[in-house]
Amino acid sequence: MDKTIDFSEFTRQSSKGIIVIYGNLLITIFKKTWVVFLLLITRISKFRHFDKTYFIVGVICLFVFLFIRSYVLFRNFQFKIEGDNFILKKGIFSKKNTSISLDRIQNINFSQNLIQQLINVYQVSIETAGSNKTEISIKALSLQDAKALKEKISSKDIQEKELEQDSLKPLLTIDAGSLLKVSFSENHLQSLLVFLGLLLGFYQQIEDVFKNFFEEDILKNYVKESKELVFGSFFLIVIVLFVLLIIAIASSFVRVFLFHFNLRFFMKNDAFEIKQGLTNKKMIVLKKGKVQSITISTNPLKKKLGISYVVFKQAVSGKVKKKKEKLIKIVGCKELHLERIKESLFLKNELVNSKKEYPHSYFKFRIAFKSMLWILFINVFLLLFFNSLKTLYFNSIWIPLFLFIAYKKIKKTFFKISENLLLVGKGALETHFTYVEIFKIQNIKLRQTIFQKRRDIIDVVLQTAAGKIIIPCVPYHRAIDIYNYMLYKVEKSTKEWM
Amino acid sequence: MIQFQNNEIIELPDITEITFNRVEKKYLKVVLLSTFINFFIGSLFFILFIEKIIAKKIPEYTGIFYFLFSCFVISIFIVLIVGFPKRKFAVRDKDVSYKSGLFIEKMVTVPFSRIQHIEIEEGVFSRLFKLAKISVFTAGDSSDDLEIKGITKEKALQIKEFISQKING
Repeated sequence: MDKTIDFSEFTRQSSKGIIVIYGNLLITIFKKTWVVFLLLITRISKFRHFDKTYFIVGVICLFVFLFIRSYVLFRNFQFKIEGDNFILKKGIFSKKNTSISLDRIQNINFSQNLIQQLINVYQVSIETAGSNKTEISIKALSLQDAKALKEKISSKDIQEKELEQDSLKPLLTIDAGSLLKVSFSENHLQSLLVFLGLLLGFYQQIEDVFKNFFEEDILKNYVKESKELVFGSFFLIVIVLFVLLIIAIASSFVRVFLFHFNLRFFMKNDAFEIKQGLTNKKMIVLKKGKVQSITISTNPLKKKLGISYVVFKQAVSGKVKKKKEKLIKIVGCKELHLERIKESLFLKNELVNSKKEYPHSYFKFRIAFKSMLWILFINVFLLLFFNSLKTLYFNSIWIPLFLFIAYKKIKKTFFKISENLLLVGKGALETHFTYVEIFKIQNIKLRQTIFQKRRDIIDVVLQTAAGKIIIPCVPYHRAIDIYNYMLYKVEKSTKEWM
Repeated sequence: MIQFQNNEIIELPDITEITFNRVEKKYLKVVLLSTFINFFIGSLFFILFIEKIIAKKIPEYTGIFYFLFSCFVISIFIVLIVGFPKRKFAVRDKDVSYKSGLFIEKMVTVPFSRIQHIEIEEGVFSRLFKLAKISVFTAGDSSDDLEIKGITKEKALQIKEFISQKING
């Protein structure tokens, strides 16, 4: 392990890779079948003796088969660097040969899940962008080899100096205390939804199995009974709400700690480096030139605590599913950090001389109309569901809330354009500021409904490699100016947008 | 344009001043034909639905259902025909633009320097009229890129050639 590989010949992963592949296989199988196992194990005592041995032999066979499979997967996974291409061979029956040109490679990230942390190997993910759909992850390399591979790949880019990571002071470190603050001020409703989503997944899985094993839907009846019980009493509703609140806050804490534990944010000449994670340690290198846009967000609670979070967006390849992974989020940034990040990406004081431009008053009408539609939709739904007019009275308390949200939305929507930079503000309860460099725009669209046409206003939709940015309800002449100016900027620019 | 004072450019090329070309008139036939066939299959199902279910349960409403359905179909055709002349495109020295839409007017411009790849496609009906569609893809979520439908195949090839030359040279 002490001499590094030079990757010019076909190389396998570190031999510990077998354990990682095996572990991952076991985990995926376990995720899919744990309910069945649970059932079998609770009932195993009822089986006669020879049944039990069959069962145990079966399980052992499965384990052995999976081990052989992971061994073959490991043997067949080979990679090398040849000239300007990274070449990968893999697969058991259907063999796959992938070749990626090195300058197509966007990022090389290291990460460690629990297994990898235990046996001290790193997962190296090679990200590409554009129409190329290949994403490669090498499951197990020693830190030394991983670094060597990374250097080999990125040295084609620029002659990057060996940076002593230990001596470099991070711009931002988040300790457990600040992480508590961050979790406390998270959007708990969102956490609750994520948690409920997970729960629903589990529930469906359990239900499927129960359905297969028993004729009648025991679980469903059980849930139905308890549902009736719950909705029978007002007191219980309050308890349920309270419990949901606690669950929401707890899941916020779990989520934040899992993803952002021990967050350290380094700033280098041409890149950011981010390390974070509890069970899944991640080390991400983000080249400044490859950032397509950044969004700085905060909410009233976070504002009180003086913190916001920053999302860096990179180019996504056609698949929308992968989008989440290309978003790099850091939490708990103070005003000072935000300034440093902005300064390092854009020119200083770019936006100072440009004035905020707000959407045309038709935008207010549109937002108000949309929220009214929501109220109408909810009420019709409830009316059909409960079949009593009483719910409508009860529901009227929502109207001020919706109006408040609409009001906030209108107040927070604006944009600012300077010579090279665009800032778009939006949000309802949260506040988001998105910064894009104009030359990174991919295409521009104008969109005008007949209602807007009457008022001579138009929506400007900017497409970047990391997603859409909409500037709503701009006066027509201003929109045309923006359109012309941005096209001019993009067409004149010779800088690499990625 | 007070914000841009610092710039050496005084007059920017104006998108509103270029002349857009209409797509081929023949293409309307293609659009109508393919919509017609889609609706034909759709209406078969619809008639089946009315005769089998509506006519048995609420026979007095069958007339209304037929009326609404035909109104829907007719209005779709009217929108297609009236909206057709709105489909226009323009190729400038450094970008390509497309306009369309009756109730929601849209205009997209893609600079050549941001194009990832170009595709030319001939549909079944388009081929009958020697027409083609040219699609231009940029990076990122590619659902919202530019498509010019209903130009002659020669024109499509010509545009493709022009753009490729501009990108590489």
